Amino acid sequence: MKEKKYNLWAIFWATLALLYFFVPLYGTFDFSLRMEKGRLSFLAYQSVLSDPNFLASFRYSAIMGIITVIISVLIFLPTIYWMYLRLPQARPIVEIITILPFIIPVIVYVFGLIRTFSGPPFQLTVTPFKTDILITAGYVMVSMPYMYRAIDIGMRSIDVRTLTEAAQSLGSNWIQILANVIVPNLRIAILSGALICFATVIGELILGDFLVRPALGPYMVEAGRDQAYQPAAMAMLAWGLTWICLGLLQYFSRGRASAQQLTGR
Amino acid sequence: MDYLELTHIHKSFTGTSAVHDFNLSAKQGEFISFLGPSGCGKTTTLRMIAGFELPTSGNVTLDGKDLTLVPPNKRNVGMVFQSYALFPNMTVEDNIGYGLRMAGKQKADVNQRVKEMLALIHMDDYAGRYPSQMSGGQQQRVALARAIAIRPRVLLLDEPLSALDAKIRVELRQEIRRIQQQLGITTIYVTHDQEEALSISDRIVVMNEGKVEQIGTSSEIYNFPKTEFVANFVGQLNLLPVEIINLADGLVKIGGQLVKTNQTLERMNGHAIRLAVRPEELNPGHQSDKNNLSGKVSTVTYLGAIVRVRVDVEGRPVSIDIFNERKLQIPKVGEMFEVNFDADACWLI
Repeated sequence: MKEKKYNLWAIFWATLALLYFFVPLYGTFDFSLRMEKGRLSFLAYQSVLSDPNFLASFRYSAIMGIITVIISVLIFLPTIYWMYLRLPQARPIVEIITILPFIIPVIVYVFGLIRTFSGPPFQLTVTPFKTDILITAGYVMVSMPYMYRAIDIGMRSIDVRTLTEAAQSLGSNWIQILANVIVPNLRIAILSGALICFATVIGELILGDFLVRPALGPYMVEAGRDQAYQPAAMAMLAWGLTWICLGLLQYFSRGRASAQQLTGR
Repeated sequence: MDYLELTHIHKSFTGTSAVHDFNLSAKQGEFISFLGPSGCGKTTTLRMIAGFELPTSGNVTLDGKDLTLVPPNKRNVGMVFQSYALFPNMTVEDNIGYGLRMAGKQKADVNQRVKEMLALIHMDDYAGRYPSQMSGGQQQRVALARAIAIRPRVLLLDEPLSALDAKIRVELRQEIRRIQQQLGITTIYVTHDQEEALSISDRIVVMNEGKVEQIGTSSEIYNFPKTEFVANFVGQLNLLPVEIINLADGLVKIGGQLVKTNQTLERMNGHAIRLAVRPEELNPGHQSDKNNLSGKVSTVTYLGAIVRVRVDVEGRPVSIDIFNERKLQIPKVGEMFEVNFDADACWLI
């Protein structure tokens, strides 16, 4: 039997990459445990989790994140689907539009929103509810590149047009095609987009700050100004949340990954 | 009135004509193939029957009802695609039962019909598999079962065997024909493979550049091609420029060699005409009561069941197919070779 050979360079680079990622993480984690002098404890975590402002801002951002995900999926999924089906020539234009949030800084964008929507005819900054509508629209715009790309990659992996025609020939209307054929085959892509979209909203600072809403981003910045250990604990909590989301993504995408295309008869 | 009628169908894409004045009448239960090279408009015509494309002008009528503007999901027309188009998220049984569920059938009826379909395609044990767990041939069988499960009024097949390897293609085309005859479904089959079309069709529509060249049975298409395109596209054909010697007797000359045809030449007087003869109509050797042509062997190609010899006759290549047998004396390149054929075997174009 052949002895398994290890590539030393591969091990070296893998170790270096792991150290690059985990040493700062370990440093943050270690720091977050040192709130009590002379001993390691979860006091900073206790402090964060018992702070009603943290819970309120986290709840607010989480709700906004979920609403943003739902609105983004409802807007982008049918749009991209229609583009693949009927307007493939429009793709380069759509691509450019979707990267605009990368080109235009959020600060410019938020000033534009405030100037446009703080006076008639679309005055949306007068009540918290109306401002929430405005901030959600902003979140949808900011997370657009991620959601678009995730769904776009998913669409590319299936033959949208032929599957649609096959479903049509079997008697499906447009809603049935989307619900039974397109969405189930884009499940992973939509989940990926949703996860990134949610994470973007959770960490977003400028929209929440300038529209004066109790979002998690502004709270974390505020907490970092006069506290030392709590921001580190919050960073670790955010990291943990991301892993939970990735775990959920992995859980929902399990199943047929091992299925292989057979050849021949 | 015929069951499926396509009347003066015309389709153009941004000014380019893809299908031009297409007319066809199909009887119920008939198997018709659209045969032609890539880009000849056969798939576009099929898609107009399915409702995926709207004709620029003309009508599609099915069982006396005008379908031209009816959306595809209301036509009850089954379609099988080249790329199978099975829904990847569904098992075989879910794929087959999909159309029935969309039609609002009871679960028990759906299950019963799925079972029947699986038995029909001999895949009873594959009900729980996903498309990614099956071969191309198996997927196409399932796609066929899915299309016929809804009991379509017309079954449309768009090059269903193109993505499969040669042996499975032959098996599956026979299976398609068996199922079609068993169920009596009116079927339109698109292919660019002449052997496929000739072997399974009741009638063939040969198309070229968006136009119908000829509609006929396999034998009519092969033995009595109406146009030069059909003669060239379906099977092998020798085309030799000839000089008219006697209009009334149908006597022509290829270089210095006389050929007798059973065709009156009056209407061809003044035109550049060519003698058409299929390689399998030519026989090796000299026969005094038949037409004879001689020339030098330029190539010999061994094709297994037949040996194709190319002879240079008066500077023109003439192919002859000889049945292979163990005792066959295969001619050598450069030696003189004589072939004979009946006056009935050739025609003038």
